[in-house]
Amino acid sequence: MVREEFPHFLEWFGPGILLFLGVLVVGTILGLFVGYLVSAFRHGPFEAFYVVSQVLAEAVPDFFRTSPRRVMAMAGLAVKEAMRRRVVLVTFVIFALAILFGGWFMDNGSEKPEQIYINFVLWGTQMLVLLMGLLISAFSLPEDIKNKTIYTVVTKPVRSTEIVLGRILGFGFLGTVLLMLMGLISFFFIWRNLDHQHMIEGPTQTVAEFVNVDANTKKSTISGKRVSANAIAEAVTTENNGHSHRLEIFEDIRDAEAEPPKTDDIVETINGDDGKVTYHRARCMPVGGHTHQVTVSGTGSSATITLGPAIGYFRARQPIYCESLMFYDRTGAKSEKGTNIGKEWGRRGFVDGGSQGVRSTLSKAEFSFTNFEPSRFPKANFAPLEVNLGVYRSTKGNIEERVTGGLQFESVPENPDVDNRYISEVVEFETAEYTVQTLPVPKKLVGRIVAPDGSLVEEGEYDLFSDFAGSNGKLNLSLSCRDVNQYLGCARSDVYFRGKDQSFWWNFFKGYVGIWCQMMIIIAMGVALSTFLSTPLVMLGVIAIMIVGFNTSFIQNLAKVDAQGNLLNEYGGGPISSFVRILTQQNVMQDLETGVFNTLIEKADYLAINSMMLLTYLAPDFGQLNFSNYLVYGFAVDDQQMLIAVAVTLAFLLGLVLCGYFCLKTREIAK
Amino acid sequence: MSTDAAPSDPSSTSVASTGRLEQTNPDYDPNIVIETQNLTKIYRDFWGRQKVRALNALDLEVRKGEIFGLLGPNGSGKSTTIKLLLGLLFPTSGRAVVLGENATNVAKNERIGYLPEESYLYKFLNAEETLDFYGRLFDMPAKVRRERVQELIEQVGLGKAKRRQLKEYSKGMTRRIGLAQALINDPELILLDEPTSGLDPLGTREMKDMILKLRDEGKTIVMCSHLLADVQDVCDRVAILFQGDLKEMGRVDSLLKVSGETQIRAQNLPESAHAEIRKIIEQHGGTNVAVENPTTTLEELFLGIVRDSEARPGMRSAPADKSS
Repeated sequence: MVREEFPHFLEWFGPGILLFLGVLVVGTILGLFVGYLVSAFRHGPFEAFYVVSQVLAEAVPDFFRTSPRRVMAMAGLAVKEAMRRRVVLVTFVIFALAILFGGWFMDNGSEKPEQIYINFVLWGTQMLVLLMGLLISAFSLPEDIKNKTIYTVVTKPVRSTEIVLGRILGFGFLGTVLLMLMGLISFFFIWRNLDHQHMIEGPTQTVAEFVNVDANTKKSTISGKRVSANAIAEAVTTENNGHSHRLEIFEDIRDAEAEPPKTDDIVETINGDDGKVTYHRARCMPVGGHTHQVTVSGTGSSATITLGPAIGYFRARQPIYCESLMFYDRTGAKSEKGTNIGKEWGRRGFVDGGSQGVRSTLSKAEFSFTNFEPSRFPKANFAPLEVNLGVYRSTKGNIEERVTGGLQFESVPENPDVDNRYISEVVEFETAEYTVQTLPVPKKLVGRIVAPDGSLVEEGEYDLFSDFAGSNGKLNLSLSCRDVNQYLGCARSDVYFRGKDQSFWWNFFKGYVGIWCQMMIIIAMGVALSTFLSTPLVMLGVIAIMIVGFNTSFIQNLAKVDAQGNLLNEYGGGPISSFVRILTQQNVMQDLETGVFNTLIEKADYLAINSMMLLTYLAPDFGQLNFSNYLVYGFAVDDQQMLIAVAVTLAFLLGLVLCGYFCLKTREIAK
Repeated sequence: MSTDAAPSDPSSTSVASTGRLEQTNPDYDPNIVIETQNLTKIYRDFWGRQKVRALNALDLEVRKGEIFGLLGPNGSGKSTTIKLLLGLLFPTSGRAVVLGENATNVAKNERIGYLPEESYLYKFLNAEETLDFYGRLFDMPAKVRRERVQELIEQVGLGKAKRRQLKEYSKGMTRRIGLAQALINDPELILLDEPTSGLDPLGTREMKDMILKLRDEGKTIVMCSHLLADVQDVCDRVAILFQGDLKEMGRVDSLLKVSGETQIRAQNLPESAHAEIRKIIEQHGGTNVAVENPTTTLEELFLGIVRDSEARPGMRSAPADKSS
């Protein structure tokens, strides 16, 4: 999962509310202007002024006199009406069928089966719920107007706000209930399909089924691959859910005084003459991101081994990202984006490993962490660091060896002119591309204390939390490339400490909050548009907005222009000039011939591009409200992003209620 | 106008049960319930071209406590007038003031009951749910609402069918529940669009009796109909519309009074007296039009038969009854 934004709700809220108010003011002015024009056309310019001011004058008391009882009555009616239309029922039946038979097409033996399952249920739920929201909201008001049942409603003291709000809340309630039901069923679906157990292959379920590992080659007789360094015997489990596991018995040698392992996986305990105790323990090797708990009863070759349910499928990793990332070039000067390595230099910045001539490089990426406290980590004796680095090789080097990276920790004193700094030794590690590496950073790090003037104060072993992070909880982590002529690439989201995991089911719920936000906006949009459009047009309108909303970033990229108004990302100009090029078979790299025709095309393109940009601001960015990726890749949904999503949803609801109110109020119901 | 008028004051607009809004128009005359000035409605097409002039410069005044009839053939502008008064349509020009408020102001609806032509109700609700829903729209508290719903269901005679969905109702039952929803807020002004349309004679009679009863309770009623007999039976004043123009307006009795003729009605007069009466008319220079036994209306005859059948089931009505 690639994260490029790390928003903070409080930081986002100020500009967000300003943008909302701006859109509101512009929308109101635009609405009044259009209303005035329509009214002037019907009644003449002076009467139009009176009509518009009357609508405005009535709007304020209408909002203040909105009655919760009337809103609830309208909501209740909306619920009954939607139930009668059976859209909700049909949605649920489709979902149930997908769940009933969907399992047939899932590959449990794949690398990450939980990703397939979570993706399937979330995507299916999202599509069905959004479609349901669109259908029930698009049909409701136009049908009421067509059947004239609305006559008996609007001739009661019901404000347009209450009609619009009641419908949104009613349909929202129904959608929420459906979503909860779908979530609950999805939970059981995933759990039931992924939950499985294995037996040991062989007639007995004992250690007797294990075969010894060749101590010289350390290669598995089952898989032919290398086994763990301390493995002494191995066995294989039965195949279940499309896969089997390899079991290992490994040696865990400890001092006689040391605490024995507090686990149920000890097969045998051997007291050595050298004051050491060797524990033979059994473990289940992970497959596809999960393993099973091993429980041993008895000792020796007759010890029975039982494998528990799957562990590791349902994770909600809580990454602790840095607050800021700064790159330094090989001279030690700050650089926002790191070393330029050409076309691949995009999301990631690169750290220079130096060259043969200049082996010593000051190039590094400095990650600044805050609130670095032991309470955020699952275990107090180490902090797991997860890295996902890009490697750019300028020479082939030794093809059998991976590029080496270096990590160095440094404290950030509040007052650098007075306080000493803790600096750790550089810890080297082999980088692995295209995968997330877990590097456990021990609590005790070898390093030195340096005075503000740069002189050495002391060398020794210091605590990561109490010394390096100190009292202010700030910690700098520097990543360097230790191989010459090679480069390591990283972005802010590529290096993070892994905090305590969140509960998977709480995270699952948060994922559904994202779908709920999308559903509410679709419903509100459907209701608001249906105050002045017929059902087919409402559906067309909402689908168009959904397409823009789901592709906001793509459209924004398409429409990005530089200061001179030239498109940045695409060759061949805007939509109209591209079309002209297709028709005239002109090269996209060449400018169109200058002249009146070209100027007209450019102006039309300018208009089209700006309209596209405006659309992306008006339509909700559904990507911002979609947390599926977090769940699929096993990360905890960012609380800040969830708060922003809820705030965005509320802002859209408010805006759409206002829009619906004015459209319904100025509409002749009986026409 | 003062907003803290005493409840006994007829000009007061406050009604405790539904918590109605206070009157805001300082020029409001409580005796004029509806006033239209130069009210015009022109229907236009998408391009703004005039399609039809549905109502032309209508000046109207409906007074408190009367039954006012809007009479006219189909397409004369009756329903348009009602819709303009309710704010369902916006006037092209002119203005309509209802209970002292602009017709487009929602607040006026607190004191209005409206029975549309077809009783446009939600068919998936039953009678109780329907009335409860409309009661909620008047922001009535649950207890008041429950009582009012039961009272109205009994009043319109739907006690036995109150739990049946409206889609199972006959036309007459639908009209009755429609009337009940129009009365849910105990309105001061009731607008009835073709209240007897589709009803059998018995239902028609009941509806007319109900209208008269409501008038007696002090409510103002505006009804539009093209059924002349209905209008004649119940309305105090009528306005006759034709192609959007107001053709005649006044009290029914004075409009129907034929000033050039004299009617004599007598009972138990022998046939021989008829010749004598004719002679007297001729002596006074009058022109004899008719001296004969009067006929009753078909409605009266029908209702008599129904009442008789209810009193004596299975028996054929006695011929003597018809003369009554």
